[in-house]
Amino acid sequence: MSGKINRDRAKAKRVVQEQLAKERRRRVTLWTSLGVVALLVIVGLIGWGLAAGQESDKTANLTTPSVAVDEGTAFAVGSGPVLIDIYEDFMCPACGQFEADAQTTIDQLVAANKVTVRYHPIAILDDASTTEYSTRSAAASAAAAQGGKFAEYHKALFANQPEEGSAGLDDATLIELGKSVGLTDAAFADAVNDGTYRAWATKVTDTASARGVSSTPTVQVGGKALEDRTAAGLTAAVEAAGA
Amino acid sequence: METGQSARTTTGWLWISTAARLGLATVWLVAGGLKVGDLAASGRAVNAYRVFPYEVAKVIGAAQPFLEIALGLLLLVGLAVRLCAGISAGLLVIFIAGIVSAWVRDLQIDCGCFSTGGELGAGQSPQYLFDIARDVGFLVLAGILLWRPRTRFAIDNVLMGEE
Repeated sequence: MSGKINRDRAKAKRVVQEQLAKERRRRVTLWTSLGVVALLVIVGLIGWGLAAGQESDKTANLTTPSVAVDEGTAFAVGSGPVLIDIYEDFMCPACGQFEADAQTTIDQLVAANKVTVRYHPIAILDDASTTEYSTRSAAASAAAAQGGKFAEYHKALFANQPEEGSAGLDDATLIELGKSVGLTDAAFADAVNDGTYRAWATKVTDTASARGVSSTPTVQVGGKALEDRTAAGLTAAVEAAGA
Repeated sequence: METGQSARTTTGWLWISTAARLGLATVWLVAGGLKVGDLAASGRAVNAYRVFPYEVAKVIGAAQPFLEIALGLLLLVGLAVRLCAGISAGLLVIFIAGIVSAWVRDLQIDCGCFSTGGELGAGQSPQYLFDIARDVGFLVLAGILLWRPRTRFAIDNVLMGEE
């Protein structure tokens, strides 16, 4: 019967077409998958390249303050036997709180020649101001250190700490604060205006991160992290380290 | 021939999957977009987990926002949905594992999921449970797409021909 033959032909044709369509879908899936994987790899590499480029841009023209210690990444105050490392961001409220709590104690420990404090001004909160205040203030503190007034300027910065989310202190104010602690020469003002030590601030931040410091304040007494960051906690840790 | 019931179910899943696809796309676009502006900070956020050496963490932190945005765009247009859902699920499992490991090790960090994260200051407590629950929610979206990758308004439909 021709009707049956026609029906069989139609059925065979449909089966073949379905198989062809299936084959085509498989091919499309294969190629889109390969394309997508390649795209993701390329995009990841772009990110890597961009970050590396940004890093080299930010650390280009690196000027390391000659007074810096610890591979040029910190400023030392005092000369006592117990080493205190303090990693701070001038924008960070918890650092401001720590300074308010412990500064007097630190001053006394330094005056009694019990401790050497190494301040590492890092910039991890550039997002918290609209003007990258973390980097600018850390750079200004380096200029102050170069002028021999790090400890004084460091205090002035925390005493005038801007609100998170604000524009931070502008360069003119940073220079004014310098004047208030005796940094009246043009070298300080020029360094702030020119951003001489901004690349250095980035490098200090990077060095701190490589050491596992990712929050501020990080306080280490004799190389050990200080958990209780109160005046009493600090005193106890210094005594333990000195004993 | 499909019965009316199963046709309705298929249509229902089509829309559920479409919603899941667009939801997951939004998640990746937002997550990547918030990190892409500061790649150095993104690297520091990865480093805060203290799983990788800093140099490796920097590379991961730099690549991750771009991967997230790319995945978000692919899901948005609906290209290779099942594959993207699979990769999304893999990433989310890694993120959840990372958060759990930070929790277990008692690290005081922000997960850096929708920010450039890092360690938390004094007086801030981590929200690991919330972070994990949220990521599990996203994992469910990815799971739906892995299971039923057919969606409306997807480039896949054009490439494959409507089934």
